[in-house]
Amino acid sequence: MNGTLDRLQVGESAEIIDISSDCTRAGRMATLGFITGRRVTVTRLAPLGDPISVEIDGQEISLRRAEARLIAVKQA
Amino acid sequence: MIMATEFKKTSQSANKSPLVALVGNPNTGKSTLFNRLTGLRQHIANYPGVTVEKKSGLLRIGHQDLDLLDLPGCYNLTAVSRDERVVMDVLGGRHGLRRPDLLVFVVDASNLKRNLLLASQCAELGIPAIMALNQCDAAKRNGIHIDTALLAKQFGIPVVETVATRGRGVDDLKSAISNALANPSFLPRIQWPECIAKGCQVLQSGVKDLGGEGVTQAEALRVLFDSDSVFTCGISDKICLKKMVDAAHHDIRGLGLSPGSAEAVLHYRHLESLLDGVVTTSGPVARSHESIDAILLHRVWGTLIFFVVMYVVFQSLYSWAGPLMDLIDALTGMAQGFISPLLENTPVLQSLICGGIISGVGGVLVFLPQILILFFFISLLEDTGYMARAAFLVDKLFSWCGLNGRSFVPLLSSYACAIPGVMAARTLSDPKARLTTILMAPFMSCSARLPVYILLIGTFIEPRYGAFAAGWALFAMHFIGLALALPLAWLLNTFFLKIKPQPFILEMPDYRVPTLRNIFHRMWERGREFVLRAGTVILAFSIIIWCLLYFPRNPDVAEKIRSDFSASTGTGISNENLEHRIESAYIEQSYLGRFGKAVQPVFEPAGFDWKITVGVLSSFPAREVIIATMGIIYNLGADVDEGSEDLRTILQNEKWTSGPRIGQPVYTLPVVIGIMVFFALCMQCGATVAIIARELDWRWATFSFFGMTTLAWISAVVIFQIGNLF
Repeated sequence: MNGTLDRLQVGESAEIIDISSDCTRAGRMATLGFITGRRVTVTRLAPLGDPISVEIDGQEISLRRAEARLIAVKQA
Repeated sequence: MIMATEFKKTSQSANKSPLVALVGNPNTGKSTLFNRLTGLRQHIANYPGVTVEKKSGLLRIGHQDLDLLDLPGCYNLTAVSRDERVVMDVLGGRHGLRRPDLLVFVVDASNLKRNLLLASQCAELGIPAIMALNQCDAAKRNGIHIDTALLAKQFGIPVVETVATRGRGVDDLKSAISNALANPSFLPRIQWPECIAKGCQVLQSGVKDLGGEGVTQAEALRVLFDSDSVFTCGISDKICLKKMVDAAHHDIRGLGLSPGSAEAVLHYRHLESLLDGVVTTSGPVARSHESIDAILLHRVWGTLIFFVVMYVVFQSLYSWAGPLMDLIDALTGMAQGFISPLLENTPVLQSLICGGIISGVGGVLVFLPQILILFFFISLLEDTGYMARAAFLVDKLFSWCGLNGRSFVPLLSSYACAIPGVMAARTLSDPKARLTTILMAPFMSCSARLPVYILLIGTFIEPRYGAFAAGWALFAMHFIGLALALPLAWLLNTFFLKIKPQPFILEMPDYRVPTLRNIFHRMWERGREFVLRAGTVILAFSIIIWCLLYFPRNPDVAEKIRSDFSASTGTGISNENLEHRIESAYIEQSYLGRFGKAVQPVFEPAGFDWKITVGVLSSFPAREVIIATMGIIYNLGADVDEGSEDLRTILQNEKWTSGPRIGQPVYTLPVVIGIMVFFALCMQCGATVAIIARELDWRWATFSFFGMTTLAWISAVVIFQIGNLF
């Protein structure tokens, strides 16, 4: 099932298939590990529902839903 | 002898000691390592033209002195803002900055691959390098084992294991630095796919053809991969470049990569092949922070703990700093009391030294307790790893107006005092959010505004409308700044600031035990910074305002009051009262007093008379002086406080003596509310202007000053005009 990262529930994981963003922002995300083909797991939400916290490549990273929406993922 | 001169010739050819730069990601312990290497021999300045702090220091190895530079922590070389461009500018030796002779990559052993991405990018620059593998102890505890010898072999540079917080490995690192300067080694460069290498060449020759300065391959790569970043803007004609960049991007897509992430993807592939066999994990990697996060980031408990932590921070600023500030005030008073009699014969000098200089110095030092306490907590929260969590918890409250979760601590501390608040905005790495946070900080109602609220609410609102209304009025005064600041931040970010917003992507660092050494170092650094840099400006303001309130001081003024007094002897005016009247007359005829009278028409639409106007004007350097000025103007002397019954009675009975409202009371409810709102919104604090100029620049400080003053004036006028309709 395809969707975007912000749609995942806590505990769900998926594979990144695309990052649709401008060059610099995509580069920044890629640097922090958001790279096509990697697995990402949503670990928790902030009390107000945004930002979300995810685990990717052994590190915990928080990002806003607005950014998570740019990351297309595929759930197995 | 000959050897010595020869050595001097070769090693000091540029007449300078070698420059070594620390490069690394945020949260790697880079600054701790810097402190360990330089001790207190540090120098903090700003990079020219930007608001980034340049930390340099002296590194002494044996008899050799080196310059050590602590570059800002970053994940990659991409620069969206001019602030971020500093790293690339230093490494490329642009804009008159000195290019380092050696790079020390500080990498977090727990996250080797991501940390090395920056190193891999920097390899293009061809600067000799060594690696400090920091926080090895934490990595081992997490079950991550690193084969340091293999790492050094694969990357072709010396690798030193360090634990900066404990000072472990620092001596090894020093000798490695000194060896590397003698026998340089270089990081392996990535083998770019042909189309990217070609794209770089095309760009390099293209820039040259345009008559530009020329760019290195490393810089050409920045243009290629960060085509929308500031680096591109500075280089050459953008339209011509765009064609070349687009062509290269087309080729990159041909490789099945997207231009945005291609660089990171290729570097990671390069690193993965080099790191093969270097890192082994025993079993599943233990994630020490998971169980703590389950509580600290919990919806209910996490929020509760957050508010408790912030309450402690705020309470310590608001209450615990109080006794120390009182002590500084008392010492200032003692110094004045001691020096004043010595200068009795030269009243100008007496007043300048006591009223201008000593109170100015006291006015600088009085901020120190709050600054030190706040930075104690900030270091503690950052070093433990809680700050990133706190930002995560409350980000939503601020994201809509262009601030982020890290704005919370600066804005909260500004409720005690905007000075430490503005300084605390350093913890924001996003330049746009930092700028906005700094500009919004003075809107928070600081403790210096409280006496004005208490005086006016206690005099006019409480007696007439009761304690309940008084409580609400006080709350409203504290809320109005925040209520206006956030929409203003939104306006500023949406329509005016031309800086691109950054994605708010936070790494959740591992929890660590903070060291007192690091915390005190940070407090010392910030305290010194404030006294030396902002303090001098604040002192200058204090002396200028003293001049404006003192001069021209024509002796005839005092004579006239005295002769009036002797003419009316026996009407019950005491000697003390006479002195107060002379003081009041002098302030009326001072430059500031004349100015106040002259600009009173400007405040006429807000219902302010000349006395209020002078009071308001004289409190521009520091708003808390309003009470003393009011005391002087109303013939009570400067020693009144906000609880003074005499002052309250005079204010209640004050009537217009001329103009259309002659005989009517001056302090009507709309005027009183107008004055309070004016104080809530106005930038009446020379120290804040100075610190904003220090943290940003004078243009922003001026903008902030005039913007807030105008807003305060408009609000006071609107309140008076609407209030008069009823």
